[in-house]
Amino acid sequence: MDKKKTERMAKPKRKAGNPYINYIVFGLIMLMLPILVEKEVIKYSYLTIVAGILIYSIVSLGLNFLIGYSGLVSLGTAGFMGLGAYLSAYLTINLKLPFEISLIISVAIPMVLGILTGLVSLRIEGYYLAIATLVISEILRKAFGEFTAVTNGFSGKSAGFPKLLNGKVLDRNSTYILIVVVLVIVIMITHNLINSYTGRALSTMRGSEAAAQAMGINIYRYRLLAFAVAVAFAALAGVLYVHFIKFSHPNTWTLLLSLNILAVIIIGGVRSIPGTILGAFIVFGIPDLVLKNLPVIGKIDGIPYIFTGVLIIVVILFYPAGLIHIWFNLKRAIFSLRKKGGNDSE
Amino acid sequence: MNSKMLESKENIENIDDDVVLRLDDLSISFGGLKAVDSLTFDIKEKEIFGLIGPNGAGKTTAFNCITQFYKPDRGSVYFRTNKGEVENLVGKKPHEIIKKGLVRTFQNVELIKELTVLQNVLVGSHIEFKASLLSQILRLPKARKEEIRLRKKAEEVLEYMGLHTIKDQLVAGQPYGVLKKIELARTLMCNPRLIILDEPAAGLNDSETFALIRIVRGIRDRYNCSILLVEHDMRFVTDLCDRICAISFGKLIFVGTPQEIQANEQVQVAYLGKGDE
Repeated sequence: MDKKKTERMAKPKRKAGNPYINYIVFGLIMLMLPILVEKEVIKYSYLTIVAGILIYSIVSLGLNFLIGYSGLVSLGTAGFMGLGAYLSAYLTINLKLPFEISLIISVAIPMVLGILTGLVSLRIEGYYLAIATLVISEILRKAFGEFTAVTNGFSGKSAGFPKLLNGKVLDRNSTYILIVVVLVIVIMITHNLINSYTGRALSTMRGSEAAAQAMGINIYRYRLLAFAVAVAFAALAGVLYVHFIKFSHPNTWTLLLSLNILAVIIIGGVRSIPGTILGAFIVFGIPDLVLKNLPVIGKIDGIPYIFTGVLIIVVILFYPAGLIHIWFNLKRAIFSLRKKGGNDSE
Repeated sequence: MNSKMLESKENIENIDDDVVLRLDDLSISFGGLKAVDSLTFDIKEKEIFGLIGPNGAGKTTAFNCITQFYKPDRGSVYFRTNKGEVENLVGKKPHEIIKKGLVRTFQNVELIKELTVLQNVLVGSHIEFKASLLSQILRLPKARKEEIRLRKKAEEVLEYMGLHTIKDQLVAGQPYGVLKKIELARTLMCNPRLIILDEPAAGLNDSETFALIRIVRGIRDRYNCSILLVEHDMRFVTDLCDRICAISFGKLIFVGTPQEIQANEQVQVAYLGKGDE
């Protein structure tokens, strides 16, 4: 009797496990890309663009978790991403550390810095985190340019493809595969976090601080946690970036990039994993993959910024919950149409 | 400091075994306004205790002082915790209060719109969940087991409250009476010793109010807890409560059974005003 009941309870859980399959399918589709490039179906440079999109998806997932589930805003995403990139470049090139160890250190140090920032700024309610992260990010950007011993200043810092513990060096395609695998893992972690007790606690905190406190949720601790996750994802993306692009320049890690990542979330959809991926493809993909190839529009200077800006306005006006909801609405429309059709035939 | 601690220890020893909550000289003022002024009363085990008073009498402020959302200027809140020990809640953080076994609802329902009914109720068992963050991220068996255990508990609570048919619906868009019930269900997830209800009958119609009386009594018997409530609806309070405390302008007027309260002249003056003579 008891066992039966538990089984019944467990059933909806298995249903909730379904998204895993979606995520893995998405990963597999992304893995087809190198093959298509080799078969010369798509251009060689497109792989770089898509890899960039996937890397920015990782950062955006972290920021979406922070904004969507804790209600906090960070404007320092690019700074923490850059810090991860420079650290990993320095550790692998100058200190000759293997990729795995460099990865761990390059994520841990930004996280510690992020937690310190949070410790100071999260005690106060409101937008202090946004201001504090903006300051940290600007300091970091300045440091990337001036601290030449580590960052090589404005000449930019070079790095190589990941060199693993066993001495094996990845090539372009296998680094791309690594990025896809990491992204799928990050998606799964985010999915689990959102659907865990922690995710619910964060949602509660965002919805009503009074209710959260009354239910025993330590608001300060959970804010800190959400921010630490966002910073960790940003640093992780930075590490992957520097080992795929093999180069890092101070001008990459500006406020503009932080705002672009914010745009990913607004355009794609707050609190939505597929929305984040969609947003990343739109913001970081369409300008490079589509707009630049158009006859007149492609020639305009700064077209990506115009595109993103206009799109944000349009999305906020017509789809404030993000473009991913077009898909949900479409699905619902098809569903109701089919239902109607079914009734007619009866 | 030391003498103060000694004094507080003495006070704790003076509390009878059947007292769950004792307010002792509780006071708070905002600017010059004394919102709660030397409030003192006891709530006994398994008692349904009502706090009444005209608008602005300081009822909700008193609640917020008990649950430490406000820091009282003076006085103590002694509470018998789940472990059976008496502690002074003053100075504790708001999120620590529920761990002692004291849980509350809000005057304006505080539920999370984006979550389902079941998920909202699950939030009530936040302090009961015992699995590390890592095991949640990786969905290790420990985290899944905890999730299933608490989900089962939440479904039992929802079934008891008659809400199990809507458990997977979103909270947004539910009628007000249902929201009140969900919030009440949420308080039952943490094995409370005392539940504080802030205007549980506000916005309910007559039949819902009548049903609420039965539910609150049922909760008291089933979960073996005391209940402290603030309410305007005099009939609801006199029907439901074992004892009632009437306050006006933050000051205690009278504590007694519903019959005594109704017969008390001061209470009538506070509520209806003095007749012109």
